[in-house]
Amino acid sequence: MAVPVEEAIAALSTFSLEDEQPEIQGPAIWVSAEPGATNSPIEYSDVSAYRLSLSEDTKALNQLNTLIQEGKEMGSVLYTYRSCVKALPQLPESMKHSQADLYMETYQVLDLEMSRLREIQRWQSSAASKLAADMQRFSRPERRINGPSITHLWSMLKLLDILVQLDHLKNAKASIPNDFSWYKRTFTQVSVQWQDVDTMREELDDLQIFLSTRWAILLNLHVEMFRVNNVEDILQVLIVFAVESLELDFALLFPERHILLRVLPVLVVLATSSEKDSESLYKRVKINRLINIFKNDPVIPAFPDLHLSPAAILKELSSYFQKFSSQTRLLTLPAPHELPLKEAQEYPRQYLIVNHIGAIRAEHDDFSIRFASSVNQLLLLKSTESADAEWCKEVKGNVYDMVVEGFQLLSRWTARIWEQCAWKFSRPCKDAVSLEANEPLGSCSDYEKVVRYNYSAEERKALVELVSYIKSTAAMMQRCDTLVADALWETIHAEVQDFVQNTLAIMLRTTFRKKKDLSRILSDMRTLSADWMANTSKSEPELQSLQPGGEESKGNFFYPRPVAPTAAQVHCLQFLIYEVVSGGNLRKPGGLFGNSGSEIPVNDMKQLETFFYKLSFFLHMLDYTATLVTLSDLGFLWFREFYLESSRVIQFPIECSLPWMLVDHVLESHNAGLLERVLMPLDIYNDSAQQALVVLKQRFLYDEIEAEVDHCFDIFVSKLCESIFTYYKSWAASELLDPSFLFTLDNGENFSIQPMRFTTLLKMTRVKLLGRTVDLRSLITERLNKVFRENLEFLFDRFESQDLCAIVELEKLLDVLKHAHELLSKDISIDSFDLMMNEMLENISLVSYSSRLASQIWSEMQNDFLPNFILCNTTQRFIRSSKVPSVPVQKPSVPYAKPNFYCGTQDLNSAHQSFARLHSGFFGMPHMFSMVKLLGSRSLPWLIRALLDHISNKISTIEPMIMGLQEALPKSIGLLPFDGGVTGCMRLIKEQLNWGKKSELKAEVLRGIKEIGSTLYWIGLLDIALRELDTTHFMQTAPWLGMIPGADGQIMQAQDGGVSPIVNLFKSATTAIVSNPICASPMSFHTMAKQAEAADLLYKANINTGSILEYALAFTSAALDKYCSKWSATPKTGFIDITTSKDFYRIYSGLQIGYVEESVQMSSPSHEVLGDSVAWGGCTIMYLLGQQLHFELFDFSYQVLNVAEVEGVSHTHKNPPSLQGWEALLEALKKARRLNNHVFSMLKARCPLEDKTACAIKQSGAPLHRIKFENTVSAFETLPQKGA
Amino acid sequence: MARAGGITNAVNVGIAVQADWENREFISHISLNVRRLFDFLVQFEATTKSKLASLNEKLDLLEHRLELLEVQVGTASANPALFNT
Repeated sequence: MAVPVEEAIAALSTFSLEDEQPEIQGPAIWVSAEPGATNSPIEYSDVSAYRLSLSEDTKALNQLNTLIQEGKEMGSVLYTYRSCVKALPQLPESMKHSQADLYMETYQVLDLEMSRLREIQRWQSSAASKLAADMQRFSRPERRINGPSITHLWSMLKLLDILVQLDHLKNAKASIPNDFSWYKRTFTQVSVQWQDVDTMREELDDLQIFLSTRWAILLNLHVEMFRVNNVEDILQVLIVFAVESLELDFALLFPERHILLRVLPVLVVLATSSEKDSESLYKRVKINRLINIFKNDPVIPAFPDLHLSPAAILKELSSYFQKFSSQTRLLTLPAPHELPLKEAQEYPRQYLIVNHIGAIRAEHDDFSIRFASSVNQLLLLKSTESADAEWCKEVKGNVYDMVVEGFQLLSRWTARIWEQCAWKFSRPCKDAVSLEANEPLGSCSDYEKVVRYNYSAEERKALVELVSYIKSTAAMMQRCDTLVADALWETIHAEVQDFVQNTLAIMLRTTFRKKKDLSRILSDMRTLSADWMANTSKSEPELQSLQPGGEESKGNFFYPRPVAPTAAQVHCLQFLIYEVVSGGNLRKPGGLFGNSGSEIPVNDMKQLETFFYKLSFFLHMLDYTATLVTLSDLGFLWFREFYLESSRVIQFPIECSLPWMLVDHVLESHNAGLLERVLMPLDIYNDSAQQALVVLKQRFLYDEIEAEVDHCFDIFVSKLCESIFTYYKSWAASELLDPSFLFTLDNGENFSIQPMRFTTLLKMTRVKLLGRTVDLRSLITERLNKVFRENLEFLFDRFESQDLCAIVELEKLLDVLKHAHELLSKDISIDSFDLMMNEMLENISLVSYSSRLASQIWSEMQNDFLPNFILCNTTQRFIRSSKVPSVPVQKPSVPYAKPNFYCGTQDLNSAHQSFARLHSGFFGMPHMFSMVKLLGSRSLPWLIRALLDHISNKISTIEPMIMGLQEALPKSIGLLPFDGGVTGCMRLIKEQLNWGKKSELKAEVLRGIKEIGSTLYWIGLLDIALRELDTTHFMQTAPWLGMIPGADGQIMQAQDGGVSPIVNLFKSATTAIVSNPICASPMSFHTMAKQAEAADLLYKANINTGSILEYALAFTSAALDKYCSKWSATPKTGFIDITTSKDFYRIYSGLQIGYVEESVQMSSPSHEVLGDSVAWGGCTIMYLLGQQLHFELFDFSYQVLNVAEVEGVSHTHKNPPSLQGWEALLEALKKARRLNNHVFSMLKARCPLEDKTACAIKQSGAPLHRIKFENTVSAFETLPQKGA
Repeated sequence: MARAGGITNAVNVGIAVQADWENREFISHISLNVRRLFDFLVQFEATTKSKLASLNEKLDLLEHRLELLEVQVGTASANPALFNT
């Protein structure tokens, strides 16, 4: 049962692989396909099969390739070389005797390092001699062997490039000679005991010469090259090849372009080492062409943080190559640091990405659309059963074109980054201070000058943008790797076959008919690559239908086969074309294809040239993924080995690291457009780690990168969370501002926020980082959960450091936080707000009713609010008394927090603060509403209980004092006589109310009464707030519970079979659904109906809630019952005792007139201490003791007022003299009476006692003194205990 | 001149080249499909990972809630006297 592969693979696509993660990261190359085409994996051993007598060439080619491979490794050893000397320990004085041991150890360590250098020295000399020999063999005019092929030329160039780079590295690394001299010193110390050290010493001297001579490798190569024979022929060919390739700039990807640019100056120096040579060179290549190339690229990237400059190389080499120094035109080229001002200003335009980013953006957008559409076409084609051959070819050709364009774009873009880097390294920033004013220029290292301060914000933005274009384009292309692969192969196959079967056939028939030699080469080309039988796999009729018309008109038809030519085929074809064009003569003047004196017609030449360059690009296409990796590799942005060495530090801080600078820029800039690209710069780390492991093969580099990434990523996540939180907070805060108010505001836009899209980032569950997958989403969730809790904690801390009036502000801030939570919950699943709130309120336990907030409110009331706040009855507000409190209240200082712990941004903070400030000076209804909302039905009862206990405590505290005051009063107090007038009355009162020693008790008692009054009034306010809330609830639930207003204004239950509408609704819905046979789970509907019944019961029970105030009054009354006998003496006669002085109302009466008088005399300071709540407290106690009528009859102030009234009436003129001087007092007394009346009427309404007292008057007229009220303190045990 | 381009046995080479084309068609067919298979596995892994991540997220939430409930039950059962009334 074998299943065809294709069907099996196609079956896989039936799996649904939906992925919610957006693609905002660079490509991940899972299968790293080794370059199989650009570097033949079988070392061109198949070339011999084509019988082109290329075996010598192939052998040489492979030798060079091996050398290139080795050279690259040498290069990475040298590049990553770090000085060991710095790490060598110094011996302390006490251990000087073991100095010899230390030398030995040091020697062994350094020997290992030096052996590597020795190896490089050996390698370079062998490489130079092999390269020279190779050039000599293939440049002899009378050569007997075929070659060099184009691939061979490339290998020579590459090897030369490696040698130049090695030389450059050796020159630049200062630590190597340093280490060497140390090594030599230890060697002299150590070798004293050794026998035979002469050869070693010689070797050492050799190495020293090699290391200390600049350009030693090049000089050696020069010597090797010109030892036996002149090689100028091949050098000229190489120069011509390089110049033409550079000028054409087609089919060159940036790595190759950079190789050519690096090698060219050295080639020129080598080729012009004699007068004669230079003349013949300039015959083939005009010097202006060279100068143009050098001028266009004054700096060429060589290593991540090291650049080359052709002009500087030429200049420096001129002192080593005497003959070259006569080339004055080349030597006058300015090096990058000595550019004239005008040109120096020109180059940035070319090098800086900022100047191109607009065009790049357009290219990117255009390309990604066209690429996607061509891939879609391809998908469509694959799903079509029988496609038209023409259409098929067109679609695949289109895909091919798009891939070519993609490679070229990527190559250009990445080259831009390389070149910008090189440019930046060549021109360090001069004024670091301009960017960060707080850091002086002197303190920053060279690396900071070239990297950290060298990129402006605009440049960083452009760089981030370009990096993300490169990465996303590469990712897009990489994703459809296997999709487009066969289309690409087919197109390449078609191109090759079309050329060899059709174009060459025509050429053979026409131009080359007479030229036997050339036509033989052409037919060889056909032989080695033509696929004549490609159409045989198709059945005959199909074939015929595919080729309408004659073969003659359309040329030879072939059916495309999805197979690409091998590296060897391309190699041979290129070689043969080169042979045709050059005629196998290296000395042939002119260029490769631009040869006018050739016998080949221009037209054919053009065709050959196009095909020739296409061939070299085919190789990149075949290595699809490998090419993508090379072209999108940005790892070089991290490496900084040279600067590490020159700065003498182990590693730079991450602020200097370019990838992190970019990430940081994205986070700091708050640019909504950049935000989604924030992960792209992190891909640079992936690239550099890959380079460290695979290319440089240095573990310590990888470790350093890993450490930096770990660090960076932590900072990244925390910064990201910070900005997410700030953004959502500000969003919530700005939504909670009044829109109409904002509309009229001039600077309203300050309070609106720029929309940012964090949603994509919040969906990232797999961030690829150094081979790990990081669940960013869960990390963010975790942090946000923490931040919300911290924020809550902060808000409560802040409230605790303020007084009770801050509760409105607290509520507002909690609202903002809650709204932010709500907005954020749409994108990410964080803990529910209630849960976090309960956690922070320490309110999780099922059996605890006090919460952190409730306890704080209570202690605040007890310690600050009740003693220090005074009531204003008119405004219904408590305000802080202006008197300094007797006990200063200890409070923690206001904790500091970032603006995002308030409302997000500074502007929003000030807006919300100015609102909160309105409520910070008093305590009134808004505060009560906030408090009810914050405490909720869970903690409120606890608080009420605490307050009631406070009242009963206060009563028992003032009881002994009142007893004391009672003692100070005379035994009997009569009615005030009218004859003395007001003055007389007042005198009498003064006499009677001589408290004597007890007068200090007065203030205490007044304060106690005031606190009781404040508490009761406060509960009254609470009652109003709760009533409002209850009413709202009632309005909402009544229709569901079937409540309707009855005839007498009472609530009536609608008669609907005794079932409320909500139960009815759910029941009927359930029966309807369950009766439907499709219903899958009837159980859940039954549950729902049951739940409706439960809800009905619960809500009905809550309909008739009592009044808190009435409850509190009843409680107070019960608490007072204990003292009833002491404070209200039952008259023995059974009638009202007019003269009694023991009753509470007497005391209060005396206190009241005392403090009213005081307040008049001292312009009301005592009123500011006590406020209106004294009246509330006093009147309530009297009322509850049943002494209201007594008070109204016998109160001193009332009597004085009566006297004054009588006096006023008896005197006809307006201002009776006897009243003069008393106006203010009388006014104050009247005010007190009005207030008392207000309190009494309120009490009558809320706690009607009259009925009971009224019935207690006997028929005889004698009142039965107050009957026992049935409330006892124990009846209030249902409220939660304080401390529970 | 004309040292180059001298395939000695052109016919044989031509036949071999033709056979090579056909063999390579088979090879590239197989290798491409193996790569497709691999691509599928990679994608499968990716989607599975994201599904697991979302499952993990839900579990985390549940875990938090469960912890809360546990604490609540703990406080309640620590005071059995409350339920005796």
